[in-house]
Amino acid sequence: MTNNRITDHPVLGKLENQTPVKFTFDGTTYTGFEGDTIASALLANGIRQLRVHEETGAPRAIYCNIGHCFECRVTVDDTDGVRACMTTIRENMKVDSGKLQAVPFKSKPEEWPRTYAEFEKSSKKDGVPHV
Amino acid sequence: MYDVVIIGAGPAGLSAAIACRESNLHVLVIDEFPKPGGRLLGQLHQEPTGEWWNGIEETKILMDKATTLNTEIKCGISAHHIEKTDHGYSVHTNEGVFESENLLIATGAAETAVPIPGWTLPGVMSIGAAQVMTNVHRVRVGNKGVVVGVNVLSAAIARELQLAGVELHSMALPASNPVTKNHANPRKVMEGLVRIAHLAPSAFIRFGSKFAKAEWVRNIAVSFYPKGGVKMWGMPIHIRKAIVQINGTEKVESVTMCDITADGEIVKGSEKIIEVDFVCIAGGLYPLAELASVIGCPFQYVEELGGHVPVHNEQMETPLEGLFVAGNITGIESAKVARAQGTLAGLSIVKQKLRDHKDINAKIQQAVANVQAVRDAASIQFHPGIDEGRKKIESAFEEYKIS
Amino acid sequence: MDKLIICRCEEVSLEDIENTANKYSCSARELKLRTRAGMGYCGGRTCRPAVDAVLEEVTGEKPGNDIPLKVQPPVRPVSLSVLGGKKR
Repeated sequence: MTNNRITDHPVLGKLENQTPVKFTFDGTTYTGFEGDTIASALLANGIRQLRVHEETGAPRAIYCNIGHCFECRVTVDDTDGVRACMTTIRENMKVDSGKLQAVPFKSKPEEWPRTYAEFEKSSKKDGVPHV
Repeated sequence: MYDVVIIGAGPAGLSAAIACRESNLHVLVIDEFPKPGGRLLGQLHQEPTGEWWNGIEETKILMDKATTLNTEIKCGISAHHIEKTDHGYSVHTNEGVFESENLLIATGAAETAVPIPGWTLPGVMSIGAAQVMTNVHRVRVGNKGVVVGVNVLSAAIARELQLAGVELHSMALPASNPVTKNHANPRKVMEGLVRIAHLAPSAFIRFGSKFAKAEWVRNIAVSFYPKGGVKMWGMPIHIRKAIVQINGTEKVESVTMCDITADGEIVKGSEKIIEVDFVCIAGGLYPLAELASVIGCPFQYVEELGGHVPVHNEQMETPLEGLFVAGNITGIESAKVARAQGTLAGLSIVKQKLRDHKDINAKIQQAVANVQAVRDAASIQFHPGIDEGRKKIESAFEEYKIS
Repeated sequence: MDKLIICRCEEVSLEDIENTANKYSCSARELKLRTRAGMGYCGGRTCRPAVDAVLEEVTGEKPGNDIPLKVQPPVRPVSLSVLGGKKR
């Protein structure tokens, strides 16, 4: 887990006596150091992608790393919109990535269903009703 | 009810808190980052004297002082709104509302985005993001990267990445578009480079930079800029090459680099693919003044200070009674200037609260002189017209007072 | 070449902003309402200077002393429970 850690630094010195902290990200358990943010602990474990754009599904990760851009927002213990770059990890913290969401009002008029049968078909992709 | 709430625990906020606590004011400092220190924390560079400026150590010195003075500092708290009330200010945060007679906004700066195609991919980050990840969290941002944008800040941080053992292919300019403009213009960038060349380890470059103060020398330097770039600390700095696109599907896989003319136009057919796994974007800083804006503080656009700045005077007062500003929100300068401004703002708040406090006017005058002395001695200057910019904002304050 | 996204939150491209600014000779506010640039999760903190720069390019006007895209509270996203007095 320390593969991306800068354990030795010519000016800042060695990184020693760190306390490990366990947390989960999308169900997998990872270990970071006490004082790590969610973003730094995940990157130390080689994980960059934190969410996808809610509408387009484009992958996203940290951009500003100081709380300004909100690109790193994740769900922490079932609270959404939490900035991974500003939130310190705690033992057993449950972190989930941001997912694609339904966008019912974004379609173009020519894509709208014209009959009820078309509506049923379009709203039940994979057999599950979509909002 | 606090005498003063200070928003931002960076060099300005902490120094102000210390000055206020020394006169026993009831102070609360809040900051949204989990640790105090602000952007100072990540700073690490060698002064022309050879000494290291270590932001973590500098923060520790400030924090030790603040702690000795029993200063109340709460981290991990975000202010989302401020209201002016009859008796002062109400600061709305995710931890409730704090009432205060006076308010100091020391929220620092935000990074100016330099959008280039592909910049939303995981692995692309602002240069400041890489600085915090490297020096504060001690995590490598990638195996091999490229820095897009050549300026004072990006050159300093590129050096910090190198120190931490992170490989950089090079620094280059962003491709020209309506947003990147000056950042993509080799002539403009050269002007900026000249201002940081005295920091270079090579005596040859330092010597050359003296000549390059003349415009005709700079023009020649841009026209005959070496193909392989000029090396600083062994890393090529290209001002005649631009990154036109960041490539990848799930994350950064490579960048496309092109040659550009002295005016920033892309040379067709010069595309080269460079494999990297991270990209740092550096567009400079602008004052982060949103909280001053929601209270209704008047603003002035001053290019030399980095953009829209809350109107304030030499003593860090704004035209709104009890509202003070310090640090990068007042203009982009070094952490040392921010620290001196914080002390000054703190003393001004003491004066506001205690009125005829002993020697306060003399102390304020001394602090004003100190800000100027620190500014004059700064080894890194973000804008050559900083003094002119300061004059503009102060005369805006005078005009505002008259009207 | 990929389209150039200016506003990351709402994925608004340079082309969208330029076309809208040209077509409607927009003020900054109108441009924001028409394209949603600057209206996303971050509140415009990332793209505000970029949107201003595009508008400056299109209209040729230098920035004035007022902040072109007005800053509105809350300057950070807040949940209703926090606004209702619940702490965090």
